[in-house]
Amino acid sequence: MKQIFRIASILALGALAVTATNGMANAKDKVTVGYIGPITGKVSAHGIAGRNSADLAINLRNQDPNSKYEYELVALDDECKPNIGIQVATKMATDKHVSGAVTHFCSAVATGAVRIYHQFHLPVVVWGAISPSVTYGNDYKEIHRTIGTLTSQNKVAVDFLTGLGYKKYVVIYDTTDYGKGHLEAFANDLLATDGELLEAYGVAADQQDFTAELTKAKSLNPEVIYFAGLSDLGIRVRNQMEKLGIEAQFAGVSGIISDTFIDGTTASEGSLAMRQGAPVEVMPGGPEFIKKYADADYKDPAEAYGVYAYAAMNVLLDAVEEAGPDRQAITKALNTMPAKEYSIGMVEFDDHGQNVNSLVTPLVVQDGAWVTWDESEYASGKRTLKGK
Amino acid sequence: MNSISIYRNIFVSVLLGTLFVVAMMMAESQVAVLSLIVLAAVSCIVLQKKGVIRKLGSDFASAEKFANGTIMIGALATAVVFAGDHFILLMLTTVLIYVVACLGLNIQFGYAGMVNFAGAAFFGAGGYAAAVLTMQTGLPHLVVLVIGGLVAVIVGFLLILPVLRTRGHYAAVVTIAFSLLFRTLVEVSPVLGGAQGSPVTGMVIFGWNFNEGYQIAGFDVSFYINYFLFALILTAVTFTIVRRVERSWIGLNMDSIRIDETASACFGMNVARWKVTAFTIGNFFMGIIGAFYAMMLGFIAPNNFTFGDSLIMVSIILLGGIGSIWGIILATGIVIILPEKLQIIQEYRFLIFSLGVILVLLYRPNGLLSRAARTYFPGLLRGAR
Repeated sequence: MKQIFRIASILALGALAVTATNGMANAKDKVTVGYIGPITGKVSAHGIAGRNSADLAINLRNQDPNSKYEYELVALDDECKPNIGIQVATKMATDKHVSGAVTHFCSAVATGAVRIYHQFHLPVVVWGAISPSVTYGNDYKEIHRTIGTLTSQNKVAVDFLTGLGYKKYVVIYDTTDYGKGHLEAFANDLLATDGELLEAYGVAADQQDFTAELTKAKSLNPEVIYFAGLSDLGIRVRNQMEKLGIEAQFAGVSGIISDTFIDGTTASEGSLAMRQGAPVEVMPGGPEFIKKYADADYKDPAEAYGVYAYAAMNVLLDAVEEAGPDRQAITKALNTMPAKEYSIGMVEFDDHGQNVNSLVTPLVVQDGAWVTWDESEYASGKRTLKGK
Repeated sequence: MNSISIYRNIFVSVLLGTLFVVAMMMAESQVAVLSLIVLAAVSCIVLQKKGVIRKLGSDFASAEKFANGTIMIGALATAVVFAGDHFILLMLTTVLIYVVACLGLNIQFGYAGMVNFAGAAFFGAGGYAAAVLTMQTGLPHLVVLVIGGLVAVIVGFLLILPVLRTRGHYAAVVTIAFSLLFRTLVEVSPVLGGAQGSPVTGMVIFGWNFNEGYQIAGFDVSFYINYFLFALILTAVTFTIVRRVERSWIGLNMDSIRIDETASACFGMNVARWKVTAFTIGNFFMGIIGAFYAMMLGFIAPNNFTFGDSLIMVSIILLGGIGSIWGIILATGIVIILPEKLQIIQEYRFLIFSLGVILVLLYRPNGLLSRAARTYFPGLLRGAR
């Protein structure tokens, strides 16, 4: 009898607590925030991971007694198609209940949709698209981005290489947008240092023979050959450098990082490359994110970019906490946001809304594997790069 | 037959149809959307069983002008209801755009029997023509639309020879190859913006800026109403032309070629000529409307014009009923609006949507509204009354 009484009282207390918390939750104003990503289609794994991560950020915020609002998520699917992206962007931006949104994984979709957000004044934080034009192709105050751009790795590359003491550079780039974008960024960043760009050679993405370019490059006697392109082209360039006996250090953009590069080259040892982003495990808030994502028991894995959606949503929620649910106030809060640490590292927006602190990790090939520079025997001085 | 009852039947069914469209567009919650879908499916089945749909079909056929006019008024009324709603107008305009594109495809596929799995490529050719012309030149946008159509026709000429020399599955493979080729081509072309796409200027005709909204009596009207009205005009014009082609001796020739090429040739018909005609007219419509679509979206990228998008256009025609104009209009509405309405069920939406389409085709293998047998003397029904 006593036992039953005790259980009943615990249940009653529990019920009371639930109603009380419900009452408290109801006392908070509701704020709706959006998420857009490719939930169906070829890259749906990333889109679903992003949605779950954004949802996780919101659930954790709602459990936080200190948060001023109760948040609600509206998630829409852009299918990684620009026309559908514009459609759902219009839907979200014209929905007056939505205060802000975390949007897009695919660059072409984001590039097309930013105009819509600007037109309807919806503040957004882009979580996964990395084309520079999303932030730098316009002056829209509503657009922000937490993930680094395609070309931000070049800044790190320049600092890293000049830090090693290299001064004379030759760039070989493929003539697609990818290669050209890297070349422009690299040349621009190099101006600010004492490094010198001797010459840049454009090559077709499917070119087989580089004897002409490499012979000319050899006569210039560069210390570094910087390669901007993808791995299959990089393999051919690296092998033909070896054939022509060019004794310059080889460094490449993130596009060459793959096992085929190591398997396909005769002399991959000591090649450098910049890795865009970092494995989630080594991000400042990475392990914490992994644990919380696992605890929340989502059906799908968080993938490589889930943490970016999580961070982007937290940035947006912080802005709402500070400025309230009004769209213009949120835009202003995001634009004037002081540098702050999130799970992906420091977030600090420049005047285009681009996060200036993007994670880029230099890698080096050591014994047939890509190794983080800091952990390599090259950094510890056991082995040396070319010309050192 | 009583003509008053015909007009009344047409009016009532168009009114109910319009109300349904309005309700569907307004529906936001899962329950509302799903119950509307179920309502539509159940009432269609019941009406079919009771023979009402067949009766309505003959009513619409016997008073065609009145029916078309009423439907036009219904479309305009829908636009008035949603005049302030950017998104819904965008969706409705997208439906009209796909209607025009699929009507173009229908001339090739439905009449001349040429399978074209590169519809999205011709649609895209017009779109990219618009992107280049509006960004680089100051040509009037009406001219840009026409050039968009011509570019699609010219691009189509590249395919004429292989398409004429092959038949059936082989012709299909040729167009599939072209569709893949088109996408690769625009992806690597820096002039066209590459994989990251290209911006397009919004439409301006004689100083009428389509990207500006209005204020009428203190009520904000969305700028998309411009695009909607223009698309409605384009749809009406295309509809009329396609109907005329279908009913004329041109359509008769195309039908004959589709049904039996050898027999037609034996009777002295120039098979190649009619195939080229159908291919050209169809591509022209797809190009024009592609240019219009690009100007409305303000941005295009290769991902809009994949092989998958061509398949969507073909499936609209199959779902609506090959060769059936009204069937295509109905199917376009379903194929464009339904996946959007199903956004609420997130990653499962295309699964549910595809299941629905398969079910429809299982029970109506000839499409929703299959093409009626050719009436050699249209209006005879009314005359014989």
